[in-house]
Amino acid sequence: MKTTKKKNPNPQRKPRILKKSGISKRARNAERVRLEGLVSDLSKTRDNLGEKVRQQTDEIKEGVDKQQRSEEQIYIRTKAMESTADGIFIIDAQKPNFPVIYANQSFQAMTGYGKKEIVGRNYFLLYGADADPRIVEEIKHTIHQGKSFHREMLSFRKDGNKYWNLLRIAPVRNTRGAITHYVGIQTDVTLMRQRDLEIKDHREELLHVTRVGKLAEFVSSLAHEINQPLTAILSYAQAAKRMLTNREPQLQEILQYIINDDQRAAEVIRRLRSLLKKSDPEMKPLDINALINETVVLIATDVTLRNSVLKTELDSNLPLVYGDRIQLQQVLLNLISNSLDAMESSQNSREMLIRTSRKDPDTIVVAVKDSGCGIPAENMKKLFNHFFTSKPDGLGMGLSISRSIMEAHGGRLDVENNPDRGATFYFTIPIGVKAAL
Amino acid sequence: MNKREQIIYIVDDDVSVCRALKLLLKSHGFKVETFAHATDFLAFKHPKVPSCLVLDIRLPDINGLSLQEVIARRGIVIPIIFITGHGDISMSVKAMKAGAIDFLPKPFTEKKLLNAITLAISKSKTQNKKQAEIAKIKCRISTLSPRELEVFRFVAQGMLNKQIASKRGISLQTIKVHRGRVMQKMQAKTVTELIHFAQKAGITSPQE
Repeated sequence: MKTTKKKNPNPQRKPRILKKSGISKRARNAERVRLEGLVSDLSKTRDNLGEKVRQQTDEIKEGVDKQQRSEEQIYIRTKAMESTADGIFIIDAQKPNFPVIYANQSFQAMTGYGKKEIVGRNYFLLYGADADPRIVEEIKHTIHQGKSFHREMLSFRKDGNKYWNLLRIAPVRNTRGAITHYVGIQTDVTLMRQRDLEIKDHREELLHVTRVGKLAEFVSSLAHEINQPLTAILSYAQAAKRMLTNREPQLQEILQYIINDDQRAAEVIRRLRSLLKKSDPEMKPLDINALINETVVLIATDVTLRNSVLKTELDSNLPLVYGDRIQLQQVLLNLISNSLDAMESSQNSREMLIRTSRKDPDTIVVAVKDSGCGIPAENMKKLFNHFFTSKPDGLGMGLSISRSIMEAHGGRLDVENNPDRGATFYFTIPIGVKAAL
Repeated sequence: MNKREQIIYIVDDDVSVCRALKLLLKSHGFKVETFAHATDFLAFKHPKVPSCLVLDIRLPDINGLSLQEVIARRGIVIPIIFITGHGDISMSVKAMKAGAIDFLPKPFTEKKLLNAITLAISKSKTQNKKQAEIAKIKCRISTLSPRELEVFRFVAQGMLNKQIASKRGISLQTIKVHRGRVMQKMQAKTVTELIHFAQKAGITSPQE
């Protein structure tokens, strides 16, 4: 009990009891100092302890938050991987048979295999047995070297149906730089590929038609040029023969030979022309705006590759016109590619605009405007002539064919230079009139 | 009729073709005029003799088919034979529909050309005869007084004297006199002939 009393924390109050117990004043003082130090130590320790507890509580709190946050992140990442339309998979790189350890929903949907069939299975078996073994080898080789793989390959679903697979695989390394996994993304590009193929087919068809058209036009012009002198020769010979009636039998015979051979030459030309006869246009009612949009798709790649921009301004209120789809596309493609050529050396922005509008109640006009070099005045008149060209490798057939196509449609093809720069080609088509062909 | 009085017009921008055809047709006795341009042909004042036009379908200044239209619009009556080095079927259809005699792809034989020309000349003769007759009738019509012309028109419509008299408020006797003069001036023997003249000259009913 004494000690408890001695521990009186209040140093200001002099304890009388001590005095009474008979201890010396000096000793009492020393005792007091010692006690006071002790009290101070205790109080410090208590404070430290409180601080530590607070710190540790904070740390624990923070840890819990951190874990919650990272769990949330993991959840979002997993959810995102499951939600994307691309197939995502992870392969264990440290096992020899490339087992898949993760595959998302889209991967399962794309390949046709269920999760249980995929996980643990050799990844390379999931392309189907018919997949090109060379590509499979290429993939293994590439990723084995620690490089990324990226290409399209034909793959086979579980049910054997094929699809075009745009495949990207990249290695995943641990902190020491060793490859532990491969992560892959694959996209089903079958529809895109089909569309590309269709566009390519259509373009090739148009190119073929254009080529045949050029040849036919060429033969036709040639035939005309040759038929003129043949006509003259034939008539000269027949006139001479008539003038020599009943005279000069030998000369008459020679003139008859000339007549015969002239006709033989004419026959050769006639046959050549019938061989390359221009096919009759198939006139059907069609939407000119839709036709322009289709054509723009066909040439879109060229336009982009040549750093140009092609815009359209189509009057949505146009009636149908009668025309041959292929031939009109030929004209449009010809005008667009001419515009691209004209803008080739342009330093300014390369812009093309296709505009449709109603010229008058009976006529639709389609204008192809470019921002190219324009047409020099001296070329304006010759522009539509056969064999006239301003291009080093041109045949000089494009515009003359285009013009005759438009004439066959009961329309007109013409050109004028723009006030600022470039030129505008425009053609007219009569509305709802079946041209007389 | 003598072929010397029959004119064949040739329009072709190829000088040699023109010359050769001219030589050939002259050797057959025709009178021939050649032109390199459509405008030259249009500017030429051609006499009213049996004639025909041999026309190249592609000319530098105007398309042969368009020239065919211009000729028709100007009231020039002349049968046309088209010639072409291009064998365009579509154009031949159009040309024939617009009344062309024939469409000859180059080079054509003398025989084909002459057949077409014979046909064209005979058509030209018929056309000229008809035109001359119309001109004659129109000439006679021009001698009628305004009142006589009016009576002529009513008669041409098949109206009786009485009807005409009441319509115009003139006595029957006066109408009979006018009508007699019309018959005389028009040199018509019967009313039927008179009505026939009116039809040929394109005489219509008087304006009400």
